[in-house]
Amino acid sequence: MATAATSRRLPASERLRRSLGNGRVSAILILLPPALILFTLFVILPLGESGYYSFFNWNGYGAPSDFVGLENYERIAGHSIFHKAVGNTVKIVAVSLLIQMPLALALALLIFRKTPTNAVFRLIFFVPYILAEVAAGLIWSFVFDGNYGITASVAQSLGMDSLFILADRDWAFVAVMTVIVWKYFGFHMMIYIAALQSVPEDLIESGRIEGAKRLQIVRYVQIPHIKPAIIVSAFFAIIGALQVFDVIIPLTNGGPSNQTHTIVTYLYTFGLTRLNIGFGSAVGVILFVAAITVAVFYQRFFMKGDKA
Amino acid sequence: MAEVRLNNITKKFGAVTVIPDMSLTVPDGSFTVLVGPSGCGKSTLLRIISGLEMPSDGEVMIGGEDVTFAEPSDRGISMVFQSYALYPHMTVAQNIDFGLRLAKTPAAEREARVAEAARILALEDYLDRKPGQLSGGQRQRVAIGRSIVRQPKVFLFDEPLSNLDAALRGQMRVELAQLHQSLDATMIYVTHDQVEAMTLADQIVVMNRGRIEQVGAPMDLYDRPMTEFVAGFIGSPKMNLLPGAAIGRGDVKTVGIRPEHLRADPETGDWPATAKVVETLGADTVVYADAETLGEITVRLPGKMRLSAGERLFLSPEPGNLHLFDEDGHRMEQTA
Ligand SMILES: Nc1ncnc2c1ncn2[C@@H]1O[C@H](COP(=O)(O)OP(=O)(O)OP(=O)(O)O)[C@@H](O)[C@H]1O
Ligand SMILES: [Mg+2]
Repeated sequence: MATAATSRRLPASERLRRSLGNGRVSAILILLPPALILFTLFVILPLGESGYYSFFNWNGYGAPSDFVGLENYERIAGHSIFHKAVGNTVKIVAVSLLIQMPLALALALLIFRKTPTNAVFRLIFFVPYILAEVAAGLIWSFVFDGNYGITASVAQSLGMDSLFILADRDWAFVAVMTVIVWKYFGFHMMIYIAALQSVPEDLIESGRIEGAKRLQIVRYVQIPHIKPAIIVSAFFAIIGALQVFDVIIPLTNGGPSNQTHTIVTYLYTFGLTRLNIGFGSAVGVILFVAAITVAVFYQRFFMKGDKA
Repeated sequence: MAEVRLNNITKKFGAVTVIPDMSLTVPDGSFTVLVGPSGCGKSTLLRIISGLEMPSDGEVMIGGEDVTFAEPSDRGISMVFQSYALYPHMTVAQNIDFGLRLAKTPAAEREARVAEAARILALEDYLDRKPGQLSGGQRQRVAIGRSIVRQPKVFLFDEPLSNLDAALRGQMRVELAQLHQSLDATMIYVTHDQVEAMTLADQIVVMNRGRIEQVGAPMDLYDRPMTEFVAGFIGSPKMNLLPGAAIGRGDVKTVGIRPEHLRADPETGDWPATAKVVETLGADTVVYADAETLGEITVRLPGKMRLSAGERLFLSPEPGNLHLFDEDGHRMEQTA
C-alpha cells in the first residue's frame, strides 16, 4: 500500500528509472526481441503467406497473380474427399482418446515400477515411437500384404481367402488406425509412467489399509494423482491426430479410392502433388484454424491448473 | 479391542536379515511404543503387523486370530503415516470417509461417524478444504480422523508427529493420550522422541538391530534398564556410562549414572571436573563437564544453581542410583 501510494506521486521519469532498476522491464526489453523475431520469422510470416496464397489459383511457379477470392475454400467445402478426410481425422482423434490412451494407461500401470523386467518392457513398448514414421508404415504394409504378409498367412491357415486389408474400402482405415495406435501409444505410456512414479507409495499403501482393491487404488488414488499428465497427454493426442500424415503415405497413400485420407494427406495429395499450391494453402489455413481452436478451448477448459 | 501377538517373526530383505527372531505381546488396550535407533526395524515391524509387509517366518495374531496372510484391510487395523498420506484431490471429509465408502457403509452412518471424528479432532471447520490448505497439525489430525472412523481394533502409528514443530508436537501428544483413553483401543506407536515414548506409553519396547532389548513400563526402563543399550537409550540427557574403575569396582565393566543423579559441589566430591558447556534451561541447568580420568560427564542441576563454563566443580553420584553392567552389557544386581 505504502509503496503504491508513493509511486503514484513520483514523476514519470523517476518511475521509469525505478522500474528499469528493479530488473523486470530491462529483462523484458532484452529477452523479448529475439523471441519475437524468431516467432515472426518462423510462425507468423509462413502463416501469413499461406493465408495470402490461399486466395490465388497458383501452381507455385512465379508470383501468384490469378486472384480467385474464396474459390479455393468453396471447392474444399464441397469436396466429398475432404469430408471423408475430416471424418477420418475425427475417427483418429476418437481412437487416440478412447483406445490408445486407456491402453497406454493400462500398460503404464503394469510396468511403472522400477524393476529390471519392467525396464525391458518399457523399452519394447517404446520402440514403435522411436521408429521413423515411414519405416513403421512400410513394416506394416508388409504385415498387411495380401500375398506374403503375416495377416495373409494367418488367413490362409484359417482356411480363408487371402485378405488384402489395405486395399479393402472398409478395412483399410481400420488397419491405418491400428498402426497409429501401435506407433504412438508408447509416447503416452511414458508420460503416464513418469507421472505414476511420482505418486507417493504411502498413498497407495494407505489405500490398501483403508480397504481399496487394486482397481480401486487405480481409480481413487493413482488416476486422480496423475490427472494433469492425462490432460497433457490428451492434448498431445488430439493435436497429433489432427496432423497424422507420414504413417499413411507408405501404408495406403490415401487409397483405396481416397478412403483413408486425413486432412494432411488430403492437403499433400490435392495441394502439393497436383501443384495446386493455392488450394493446398487453403487446406493448411483450415487445419491451422482447427488446431488453434482446439488448443484454445482445451487450455480454457482443462488446463487452467488444478484448483486443488 | 484386541491383543496383538507376534510369534517368532523373522524378516529378511534378500540376503539381509532385518528382524532375526522376534516375539512380542502387546496387551489389549495398551499404548505400546516402539523405540530404537534409526534402521533398527521399527517401521518394518509395524508394517508386518499392518500386513503391508509379509514376515519371512513366524506368525502375527490379532485378537487371537492368525492374520499372518490376511490383507491389511481385513485385520481390523488402521495406520497413520509419518507423511500423513492424505489424498490431495479429496476434501478433508472425503479423506476421512474414504475407507467407509469403500466398505459400503450406509450413508447415514458414514456421515455420523465423520461428524463424530471431526468433533473429536476439532476439524469441523475444515471438512470442505483440501489437505493442501491445512497446516501440518491439521493434516495429522485428518490422518488420525481417517483412522478412527473405521473403528479399528488396533491403531498403528509410524512417527506421526515427527513432521510437526515442538509446540504442536506437545499439543498433539496430549490429544493422542486423550484419544487413547476415550477409544480404549490398542495402539502401537513408533517414535524417535524420548518424551513421546515416556509420556504416552504404558509399555515401551526398546529395539536394537532387529532385536528386543527390553520391554517394560516407562519408569521400569528408566529405573532398571536391563542392558547397557537401554540405559544409554532411555532418558534425556543420556545416562553417563563410565568405566567401572570410577567407583573402584574391577568386576564391573560399565557403571551408569543419570545426569540428574549427580550432585555438584564447588569444594568437595568424588570426581573433580571442569564445566565445558552450560545450558540454562530455566527449570534446570545441564552441564557438560570434563572429569579428568573419566572423560565427559553430563550433569543436570536445579535451575537456581548458577555456573559458568570453565569453572571447577566436584561431582558425586547419589547413592542407590548407580546402574552396573557386566562384560556383555547385562545389568548386574547392585551390591553396593
Ligand atoms: N524394502 C526394503 N528392502 C530392503 N531393505 C529394507 C527395506 N525396508 C527396510 N529395509 C532395511 O531394514 C532396516 C530397518 O528399516 P526400518 O525402516 O524398519 O527402520 P526404522 O527402525 O523404522 O528406522 P527409522 O527410525 O529411521 O525410521 C534398515 O536397515 C533398512 O535399510
Ligand atoms: Mg521408520
